[in-house]
Amino acid sequence: MKAHEVMRRDLTSVELDTTVDHVIYLLHQSGLASLPVVDEDGRVVGIISERDLIRALLPGYVDMLESSAFLPSLDQLGRKLHEIGRKPIAEFMVREVIAARPDDSDLHLADLMIRKGLKQIPVLDDENRLVGVVRRIDLLHRLRR
Amino acid sequence: MILTVTLNPTLDKFYWVDELPLCLDQPEEAILIRSERSLMSAGGKGINVSTFLACHGAETIALGFLAGHTGQIVLQDLLAHGVTANFVWIPGETRTNVTVIARGREYHPLLIHEEGPPVPEEALRIFLRKYERMVRCAEYVVLGGAVPSGCPPDCYRTLVRIARTAGARVVVHAGGEPLVRAIEEGPFLVKPDVRAELQLGDMPVSTAQQIVRAGKKVVGQGVGACLISHHVTGDILVTGDGVWELEARVPLSTFKNLVGADDALVGGLLVALLRGEELVEAARYGMAAAMASAEVEEKLCLDESAIRRELAHVVVRRGGAG
Repeated sequence: MKAHEVMRRDLTSVELDTTVDHVIYLLHQSGLASLPVVDEDGRVVGIISERDLIRALLPGYVDMLESSAFLPSLDQLGRKLHEIGRKPIAEFMVREVIAARPDDSDLHLADLMIRKGLKQIPVLDDENRLVGVVRRIDLLHRLRR
Repeated sequence: MILTVTLNPTLDKFYWVDELPLCLDQPEEAILIRSERSLMSAGGKGINVSTFLACHGAETIALGFLAGHTGQIVLQDLLAHGVTANFVWIPGETRTNVTVIARGREYHPLLIHEEGPPVPEEALRIFLRKYERMVRCAEYVVLGGAVPSGCPPDCYRTLVRIARTAGARVVVHAGGEPLVRAIEEGPFLVKPDVRAELQLGDMPVSTAQQIVRAGKKVVGQGVGACLISHHVTGDILVTGDGVWELEARVPLSTFKNLVGADDALVGGLLVALLRGEELVEAARYGMAAAMASAEVEEKLCLDESAIRRELAHVVVRRGGAG
């Protein structure tokens, strides 16, 4: 099975100057775990995920210690979120886009998801424009048939 | 690719009942109406056109605003039908439109239409950027349905201008002031929604003569073609080349659900245009799609063979009165 047969044709995405606040709102509304970030020509130039946002909120030492046990409270994260809420998502997105092509096989998609620990992969055309998204659950749902 | 815009989508809910009370005024007690069957589907003019197109193998992307849980249901339904979706999410809840159809009175259903959530200024800005980007890849753009609060009344005019600049042909499938404003930008085709009022701007469109007169005026203002419903089974097409009367010779008693028939007409017309057919023949195919849709309980007839069968009942006459 090919990526274009299993993907959701949902082009929900954000632009480079979309604010952190709006991305959180959109992730909550859409139920997606991450969103592609597109430039003025609609080309995917980054990905912003819940994980990226959490990383942006955590103090540097949490990454260093690989533990959140030293966090005093969530209030600190709330304050930090308030600070960065109006900032553009371009500052926090991951620029290395792991994506699939419409003709990639389901095996390739599954391999990417397992190896990279991804919940979903954007599917891009030859000009790197978003044409769909494959979620882990889409693959599992197909396999169950 | 055909881009459709639905600024105020809906979740259409249909209930079939044995009968409706003759009078809903001053009931002595609560009125309970049991429904033997119900259906729901993503709705709104542009969305219906996209659903029709996708099910007939045409590449289509639906744009607009969605909100809340109802918006999620609308999105899932669209994706399930093969429509590519690119919506802007707004606060609130996408509206629900209810149609109650009583046995033997399919032609006169009870309709309850919600208003829909207002569109915040920021969401409108995001939508316009999205639209400007997507319209570059579109061959046709369909602007369909009501304009929600928060969108200016001349927003269709702006959207027509942007699409025309990008080289796309625009179909405006709407009514009221937004349509009148859009006409000023000379879209490819207008399909006025005259359900609420038999009026196109300040022109009445009750009789064939009035429709032709209004159509000619609109075409004179730079619109490529004007297609207006005349009775349930008739439409009048006015272009710079002339006037055509389309008539479907089918009894009204065959109709099961009229909601969405107009959108099937626009969808069918576009499918035929994409196949390379001339506008008049494309309008004839659109009318066959509308009749086939009215004859099934589902909102849209997605069976091409049924539309082909209906085509035999649609006749076209060259007109010109008015």
